[in-house]
Amino acid sequence: MDFIKERESTHVYHVNRMSKEEMDEMVGRCVHEQPAYCVAACPLKLDTKEMLTLAAAGNFKKALVQYEKITPFPLLLSAGCEAPCENKCKLGSLGDGIAIKEVERAVARYGEKTKKSSVFRMKKRKTAAVFGTDLFLLFLIGEVEKKMYPTTVYCREKDYREYIEDALENWAEHAAFVQADLEEEASRLKRMDLTFVFESALTEDFVREKAEEHDIVCMSGELLSRLYPGKAYDPEVCVIDEEGIVAGPSGSIMEAALAAKRGALTVDRLAQKLSPYSNRGQEGTQETALYTSVEGIDPEPGVPVGKDGYTKEEAVREAGRCIRCHCDECMKSCAYLAEYKKHPGLLGREIYNNTQIIMGDHPMNKPMNSCSLCGQCTVTCPNGFDMSRVCRMARENMVSTDKMPLAPHEFALLDMQFSNTEAFLSRMQPGYDSCKYVYFPGCQAGAIAPKVVEASYLDLTERLEGGVALMLGCCGAISDWAGRVEMTEKHREFLKQEIAKLGNPVIITGCPSCRKQLQELSEQKILGIWEILEEIGLPESARELQRTFAVHDSCGARGDAETQQMVRNILEKLGCEILDTPDSGDRSPCCGYGGLTAYANREMAHKMAEKCLERSDAPYVTYCMACRDRFAREGRESRHLLELLYGLEASETPDISEKRYNRLTLVQRVLKNIWNEERCVKDLGFAVNYTPEAMEMMDDRMILKSDVEQVLAEFHENQEAVQDAETGQLLARSRLGNVTFWVRFDETDDGYLVHRAYSHRMNIIMRAGQ
Amino acid sequence: MAAEKNYYSIDPKGQLTCRKCKVPLVKGKAKFMYLDNGFPVEMPVCPQCGFIYVPEELALGKVLAVEKALEDK
Repeated sequence: MDFIKERESTHVYHVNRMSKEEMDEMVGRCVHEQPAYCVAACPLKLDTKEMLTLAAAGNFKKALVQYEKITPFPLLLSAGCEAPCENKCKLGSLGDGIAIKEVERAVARYGEKTKKSSVFRMKKRKTAAVFGTDLFLLFLIGEVEKKMYPTTVYCREKDYREYIEDALENWAEHAAFVQADLEEEASRLKRMDLTFVFESALTEDFVREKAEEHDIVCMSGELLSRLYPGKAYDPEVCVIDEEGIVAGPSGSIMEAALAAKRGALTVDRLAQKLSPYSNRGQEGTQETALYTSVEGIDPEPGVPVGKDGYTKEEAVREAGRCIRCHCDECMKSCAYLAEYKKHPGLLGREIYNNTQIIMGDHPMNKPMNSCSLCGQCTVTCPNGFDMSRVCRMARENMVSTDKMPLAPHEFALLDMQFSNTEAFLSRMQPGYDSCKYVYFPGCQAGAIAPKVVEASYLDLTERLEGGVALMLGCCGAISDWAGRVEMTEKHREFLKQEIAKLGNPVIITGCPSCRKQLQELSEQKILGIWEILEEIGLPESARELQRTFAVHDSCGARGDAETQQMVRNILEKLGCEILDTPDSGDRSPCCGYGGLTAYANREMAHKMAEKCLERSDAPYVTYCMACRDRFAREGRESRHLLELLYGLEASETPDISEKRYNRLTLVQRVLKNIWNEERCVKDLGFAVNYTPEAMEMMDDRMILKSDVEQVLAEFHENQEAVQDAETGQLLARSRLGNVTFWVRFDETDDGYLVHRAYSHRMNIIMRAGQ
Repeated sequence: MAAEKNYYSIDPKGQLTCRKCKVPLVKGKAKFMYLDNGFPVEMPVCPQCGFIYVPEELALGKVLAVEKALEDK
């Protein structure tokens, strides 16, 4: 058998198999990073979700830091906030939404004040003057102070408290603003880096004179109507165009707070002598594409609000009801995505970036090779994010640029080569010059259930008119999953020629994944054996079973409702009771064989199988032999549909060598039984026996009996080995392709007894000077 | 010329014998090669036929770890 060439140099420039634009489009589909509904609804852009999270943890200090990011006066804003976020709370559809406003009030009230940052911030050179008193100006001076403009406030009031009281004068709701809060906000105003000129006369001359001394002028509505009658500010940017005076509405706290944010941005634009109308960024509420499922959530009722708002404990309880809206639909049912704890947008981006590294570490090789390429995420994601496409393209990219190590996939690729060389068979039905059909059961069926393959083939030959050829081999899924495009194309060409030799018959596959693969090389419809059996009826061997099964839909049948239904119909005809499980049909997870996960990341494959099996305690019935085997390996009873139909059992968890042996002997057996041909079996000339420990070790280490036999055959020939004085055992080695295999053994009367086997990919050679 | 660095050194201590040449293995100069990289080591070597022995612990330990690191380069 030919070996696969290991990569030679990694110093190859990248080739994009997926463009950056395609990747951006794919990443854009993941809504995990979209703002939560409450966050998007807040015109002031409060990170409500984060604030609630912190409050729920009792960290009112950090929660207040979040709240202070959007307002200089938290107590004031929380008293007058109209809370548009509450209407958007997802829990509202189930019962009481979160009382966000009341939690905000509690945060503003109980949050420990943080000291001003010690980081030195340079004062701006442009100065601002604020004339008069109203709600808009109150918020504006806080915003402008944050932006480090040296600001002077000219007002009639005699102190800070009176300034706030007067600003609140026209606000009908100010009763909600308790006295203690007023004191607190007054002292907050006092602490700000502002210059207050109290008891100013604010006459026209005074205002005009002082305005001349500053770069930016802000004015109350009352002064504006007196000094500039008939002039109105633009509500979008809060400025009077001709005069460049900043002013805004004071109808409500919310209105004033939002307008002050706009006004502060206008101050920035004016200070830089730029148009206040352009480059303002996104202001106000925003759209969100987030998807959050509330299925299975049974929220507690809202915490009742007392007369003076929440106590600290009540606020913690209420914030604790928040479900932190986010989308993790794909992660819920995929063991792979759940493992990396990264939303697919980010994981996909990192994997894509991995392919762009020309020299240096490629840290995402393992994650890209661990995806089963099953496409479940395309169904579970509300926007159809396709991780399998990202990983497949990344693999193809890595292979085409010679950066993909061979190690994760070499065993599987060699197995595919084995299926298509030593274990390959293509024959017309005896007595036919051309056949109407060819049965392609798939390599895993031959490896795991050779008797079932033989019985199903014989059944088809007996009951179908026009002749049924048999083709035993691999469909090409292995190299396709490994991202080896050239190898896949070569293989497809080989299969095409073999099928052409049979007269291009209708292909009947025994496996949905083979069907998908073979569809790539044939224009005519590829049939599944289940379709044929639906049509011609169940085989004679089918017996009434009276059993209960959970059906596992193979990832090869995703999006193929017809196949999924037919399998269920056949099971019903067999008298089986089918259990309905969550995540079945198109949402079915992968067993861990797909995408070569079982070869590249065995622990991940184990987790994937576990994820499949947690859906039901009942035995599983599958219609893909690989799924059947993976479940059996996890210690769960599983049956392939064909096993039930033909009353034959597959090998129970065959090891890697048995899987090859099964394929070889299947070819020998059908050749002998059906075509009356003998295929000679290579005789080693000595016996090889294995200790149970060696057998287990070899399966675990992916060492085949044929590898061990090759090492021993070479030893038999050249006697090259070392003897360990302690045990007396011999150690021989052979370099087979890219791997050196070592075997520890004893000589017996008729051959060898193998105790241990191990391998390494590094090649060891002598050094000069020896 | 400065002495070449050895990444790993194993002394057979007379425990191992070459089956073919019937002589004890000695500590000898060898080199692990993988994906364009070479690592000079001292391994048990047959002084006559040059058979180099790689123990199981080394193959599944350090060698495997270096292989994995190089594969991700």
